Amino acid sequence: MTWSGKLRAGLGLAGLIVLFGLVGPLLTGDPATIRDIGLTPPGHGHLLGTTIIGQDVLAQLTHATRGSLWIGVLVGVMATVLSAIFGIVGAYAGGVVDEAFSLFSNVMLVIPGLPLVIVIAGFVPADQRGTWTISLVLAITGWAAAARVLRAQTLSLRNRDYVAAARVSGEKTWRVICVEILPNLLPILASQFVFAVVLAILSEAGLSFLGLGAADSSTLGTMLYYAQNGFALQREAWWWFVPPGLVIALFGGALSLVNFSIDEIINPALRERIRRRSDVVATTPVVEAVDEDAVLTVSDLNVVYQGVTPVHAVKNVSLTLRRGEILGLAGESGCGKTTLAYAINRLHRPPAEVTSGSVVFDGVDVLALGPEELREFRWVRLSMVFQGAMNSLNPVTPIRAQLQDVLRTHRPSLSTSDREARCAEVLRLVGVDPARLGSYPHELSGGMRQRVMIAMALLLEPQVMIMDEPTTALDVLVQREILNEIKRLRDELRFAVVFITHDLPLLLELSDRIAVMREGEVVEYATAEEMYLRPQHPYTRQLLASFPSLTGERGALIR
Amino acid sequence: MTTLEVRDLTKTFHRHRAVDGVSFTLTPGRTVALVGESGSGKSTIARMIARLVRPTSGEITLTGQSGEPVPRRAYRDQVQMIFQDPFASLNPFHTVEHHLARPLLLHGRSRAEVPHLLERVSLTPDLARRRPHELSGGQRQRVAIARALAPGAKVIIADEPVSMLDVSIRLGVLKLLDRLQREEDLAVLYITHDLATARHFSDEVLVMHQGRIVERGPGDDVLLRPQDPYTRRLAAAAPDPEARFRPGGQP
Repeated sequence: MTWSGKLRAGLGLAGLIVLFGLVGPLLTGDPATIRDIGLTPPGHGHLLGTTIIGQDVLAQLTHATRGSLWIGVLVGVMATVLSAIFGIVGAYAGGVVDEAFSLFSNVMLVIPGLPLVIVIAGFVPADQRGTWTISLVLAITGWAAAARVLRAQTLSLRNRDYVAAARVSGEKTWRVICVEILPNLLPILASQFVFAVVLAILSEAGLSFLGLGAADSSTLGTMLYYAQNGFALQREAWWWFVPPGLVIALFGGALSLVNFSIDEIINPALRERIRRRSDVVATTPVVEAVDEDAVLTVSDLNVVYQGVTPVHAVKNVSLTLRRGEILGLAGESGCGKTTLAYAINRLHRPPAEVTSGSVVFDGVDVLALGPEELREFRWVRLSMVFQGAMNSLNPVTPIRAQLQDVLRTHRPSLSTSDREARCAEVLRLVGVDPARLGSYPHELSGGMRQRVMIAMALLLEPQVMIMDEPTTALDVLVQREILNEIKRLRDELRFAVVFITHDLPLLLELSDRIAVMREGEVVEYATAEEMYLRPQHPYTRQLLASFPSLTGERGALIR
Repeated sequence: MTTLEVRDLTKTFHRHRAVDGVSFTLTPGRTVALVGESGSGKSTIARMIARLVRPTSGEITLTGQSGEPVPRRAYRDQVQMIFQDPFASLNPFHTVEHHLARPLLLHGRSRAEVPHLLERVSLTPDLARRRPHELSGGQRQRVAIARALAPGAKVIIADEPVSMLDVSIRLGVLKLLDRLQREEDLAVLYITHDLATARHFSDEVLVMHQGRIVERGPGDDVLLRPQDPYTRRLAAAAPDPEARFRPGGQP
């Protein structure tokens, strides 16, 4: 995979530089030895030439690299510890501690770093400006951003149930932080550490170049400082200033690569996407619809998630939806029911791929539609209510704008007043007071928002509505109202519904026919009555037995 | 007899009474089902009993085998909780072993009990070395149950223990809880929104609505012959294919 390529390159390069800094000084001579061969170009016993007073540049470079790496690691450790204390402890403790820590980090964050470093470093007398002092100054000015990131992450982690579970089992607070929370922050800590190291090496180089660096050590920055003071540029002694500059740039680049790959490990979405293929690879020729009354026919549909190990999510599924019919699609998580719904609406993006089969809607092959025809097909003829739809309303615009948007896109000829009237009409259809058009989503209850989503799906009078777990997130009383509404609307408007859920008793009560899916296959496809009274497949029977009936004989289940 | 008594429990969040004067008693060998919709306050009760949330007023008293109130320090030896989402309640970083060994050690037991704990929840001991993402939802919830048993708890608060699981494995987990309750004489509070399992798996049902208990009694009385209008609406709202297809049911 690509990320390991980045990681390999980054780690390899950084490793070489670290090795150079560690071993180099042992192999090269004393960098301070003065010779009378000033500014000798590379070659002749001095692999990288000499400085103006005849010091060996290679020897200086090895010592300077070691000095810079040392400062980088010191600052990295100190800044990471500071950010962990202020970010993690504050967020976990909450209340006043969090407020205070958070305020302090924010103040540190808005103080511009480099100028502050220059001021602080400038105030410390040159003879006391050691490696430790400079590292401390750099750490103090560099931890705040990381603390913010850690705080945000800890705030989300501390509300996880496993933290609550650890507290219930009696763990001490410090143990909860160190053992339960900290390990889950490791990727972020690692990336913040790497970032702090890069930043420290760069800042130190800047400081030293200005003559404000550590007095007792040689770093890549001090090397550049002496090159500058020796007029290396004017004398065209490139071998004096190019090598230290190159080491800084390469090390920074290498660690950035490492950081990229850490980010990619944390967030898989950043990994390079699998190359897009055409979204339909094969369509079988359209078969004449046998059923006169069929509005939607799915035949031998296969959907595969392409990847290292391809997942065959929908296998040879064939279904027929008649006008005015409610077709129930039952199955457990991962059985392919949502994938099937997406395929019917052609919503798949790579890596998902329809490998074979056909979807015929009213005599039209859906899988062969062009982009413009597809736009005309979706929502106008077939609409969809998505899983958790009540949370898919835009929170910052009123309901009216969101409903009108659909009309404006698909019915541009409608006048403003007609649009308004149509929006009010669909709301009335789903039992929501049209006065609510001006409301924002957060002003409506979950059930009400779900009704608005159904209203939106009804807006263009589609022939088919696909509803994916439309009531799963709702309470039973609200679910009951919405189910009654769907039945009533179906009777009034004669559209067909594909109703997807894991709740088989609900489907038995609601649907005309039911398809039970398992591991991508339809294992049983029958009328609701047939399925209830004479279930054929063992899995259907198992599912039916999983729902104890409220009124059934008590104790039959267990005792 | 270890008994947990909840008296006049009230919790107010920003002037909103999430739990309003709730009283009940959990006794060994009995399961009490707490039924209600989201926002009715049932999870807040669980969190107060587990000492994750402080009650605004009211008392939670645990009486030990000797008949004396259990001191605060020993409370968590006796009262444990099972969380709703087994995907969130196990730390992705740690092995099953860690999840069980920690509560064992914290309550003066030995790490060597881990295999036995796993067997008690019908899991094989070799699972101890796995991490949560290698387990199915049902296995995770069994591990969570084992974790609750680890300190030697006598009172178990199960907050929607199966609502996040696939339907075909729900009954298995509920039957396990039921078996443990009977075999080990546990006092169980089963919190759920599912009326059917509440009736089948409990000795007493409490129906909550807006922070109050509106109806209580044996499951059959409360759910088959509900008196309170809210309970009636709840019972009528559950999908019931029986009514559609069986003779005598309405069409």
